[in-house]
Amino acid sequence: MSRTGDLRARIAAATTDRRVVNAVHLAAWRKVDARAESFAKLPHVEALRDKAAQIRQHVIENLPRYLECFVERATALGAQVHFAPDGAAACRTIAQIAAARGLSLAVKGKSMTSEEIGLNVALEATGVRVVETDLGEFIVQIDHDRPSHIITPIIHKDRRQVARAMAREFGCPYTEDPAELTKIARRHLRDIFRRCDLGITGVNLGVAETGTLCLITNEGNGRMTITRPRVHVALLGIDKIVPRLTDLPIFLKLLARSSTGQPMGAYTTLINGPKRPDDPDGPGELHVVLLDNGRSDILTGPLREVLRCVRCGACLNACPAYRNIGGHAYSSVYPGPIGSLLSPLLYGHAYDDLARVSSLCGACRLACPVQIDIPELLVRLRALACTRQPRAKRVLLRLWQWAMQTPWAYRLGQRLMRFLPDDGGGWTRHGPGLLRAWTDTRDLPCPAVRSFRSIWENELRDEH
Amino acid sequence: MSTDPQPPLTAAETPGGTGPLDAFLHALRRRTEAAPHPTPLPDRSNAALRAVRPAEELAARFAAEATAAGCVVHRVTEANWLAAAKDIVGSLSARLVLVQPQPGTALTAERAAALADALATAGRSAVSKWDDDTLFNCDAAVTGVVAAIAETGTLVCVSGPAAARGASLIPPVHIALLDRTQIVGDLFDYFDRLANTGSPANINLITGPSKTADIEGILITGVHGPGVVHVLLLE
Repeated sequence: MSRTGDLRARIAAATTDRRVVNAVHLAAWRKVDARAESFAKLPHVEALRDKAAQIRQHVIENLPRYLECFVERATALGAQVHFAPDGAAACRTIAQIAAARGLSLAVKGKSMTSEEIGLNVALEATGVRVVETDLGEFIVQIDHDRPSHIITPIIHKDRRQVARAMAREFGCPYTEDPAELTKIARRHLRDIFRRCDLGITGVNLGVAETGTLCLITNEGNGRMTITRPRVHVALLGIDKIVPRLTDLPIFLKLLARSSTGQPMGAYTTLINGPKRPDDPDGPGELHVVLLDNGRSDILTGPLREVLRCVRCGACLNACPAYRNIGGHAYSSVYPGPIGSLLSPLLYGHAYDDLARVSSLCGACRLACPVQIDIPELLVRLRALACTRQPRAKRVLLRLWQWAMQTPWAYRLGQRLMRFLPDDGGGWTRHGPGLLRAWTDTRDLPCPAVRSFRSIWENELRDEH
Repeated sequence: MSTDPQPPLTAAETPGGTGPLDAFLHALRRRTEAAPHPTPLPDRSNAALRAVRPAEELAARFAAEATAAGCVVHRVTEANWLAAAKDIVGSLSARLVLVQPQPGTALTAERAAALADALATAGRSAVSKWDDDTLFNCDAAVTGVVAAIAETGTLVCVSGPAAARGASLIPPVHIALLDRTQIVGDLFDYFDRLANTGSPANINLITGPSKTADIEGILITGVHGPGVVHVLLLE
């Protein structure tokens, strides 16, 4: 994925349209409230989060054996399991599955993993038509836009923008009524669902002990996608595994509540292989594409805890930075606090800037159903990114470190501080020289007229 | 879990015929061997985390939760369920109704036949087939369920020899027949049971009608699945 502009420019661009900013703000707050309300009614929330966190941490510490077990059981159920070391390989594998069977019309359930690897573009390039069927993703697709939230892709759009896109694309009478707009999408996609031959979905969680795939959706498009076509391809990140079938309900109790405040998604589907010979409908072939794409590197690195993530999106809604700049400013498939961690880890150092898009307030950690300590990991990521700063900045930081440890330099620094301008009320709002970049976004309190050191020297020391 | 780590192999040493997946798993095992793994797997039992008390009246809890999720729950008896089903179909002005009996559910072959007769006398046609034309053109589908979960008001539909996945999905209205003895309390109870029985290819936990809130967070029902779910709860 190509990125445009530096962080500052992207934030400025993303926040010029106040309507979008307000829409995101409102929608995210609504989800925060819905989440809190639904958790208030669930007993043992903290114990459930403890257990969920422990299960996921255990899995990532012991991933090879659980993956091996999952592959063995899924294969025994009749699934064909493929391995893709990176996104390009996953796209190639899926394109080959389509080509070998002459499949030409693919329907997709909402999948961030497929966004991560740019699957749609890759498949379309081989002549397969790809249709997004989640309402939000469908609108993103017809409007040539990008999702800005991992659960609510068009959180940045209002009904007028949706109405314009629908009218333009389908030549239907202009309407801003969400129910009517939904009906238009339904009518269009019904026909597609009758004719499609390939269904592509992500997976919420795979169960190692049974080879089961768990998929949670609300609209029913996910169920359509795994029922109608003759081939189902499920894209599964290697990290998204739980050991036992009885572990699933722990995550089901937490996941939908964290995402949307619902006790359960409308449809939680468990898939045990392709359709059986006697089943009247369902896909005759099930392919599971296990995707690494950098995950095994995270697994062996210092930030492996991030792989506990189950992509519920609660940290996005909880984050004051996300709420104020929206998802597009991150310029990554994964925005928000979890995206600030995942993006540099999955896509590389070009995304290091995202570690700074946080005030480290900790709201994300409190919202996380698997208790990922996101602020702590962000700080660690910043520290790692430090070693890759420009030379001038590194020299400056080294100088700072030396001055703070050297009494005479520290004293000199204090003296110099007094020359900072007082821009009113005892605050420096526009610092000179290099300090400018810092004071552009923060105010610096002017130092006291007399330092504690001098008060100590002249008055207090004698009293002791 | 049973699988003990096998002696580590390098990718080059993997036996001939194994694909990139095996090579990857072997490499991953080698790479993660040195990393610490201090976190034990928690106990399998979730009994201490239950949301539903064993003594709770399950039918009442189910009815309340299913209603909150957007279902229409009708509490019926053996004597009046047929009349209730007929009323629902009548109120929909549905002409073509898919009736799908399934072993292991409350919609037995006998009940399905009785319902088909009752609908026929009311001028509706009841069919029991699941070709595309039927699935996409019928006005409602009547199915049984294999279980229901009181905690969340969830219905469980599974695939099987005479049970199309499309029946509870494609028609605009889903009418589910549920016997009160099929209701389990907690989500944990259902999964405990599932772990001890063979699993069908496709299990759907259905909680309310199909819904979306993608446009400005406004809740719309009936996107791709049924917009209306009636539950006939047989007491």
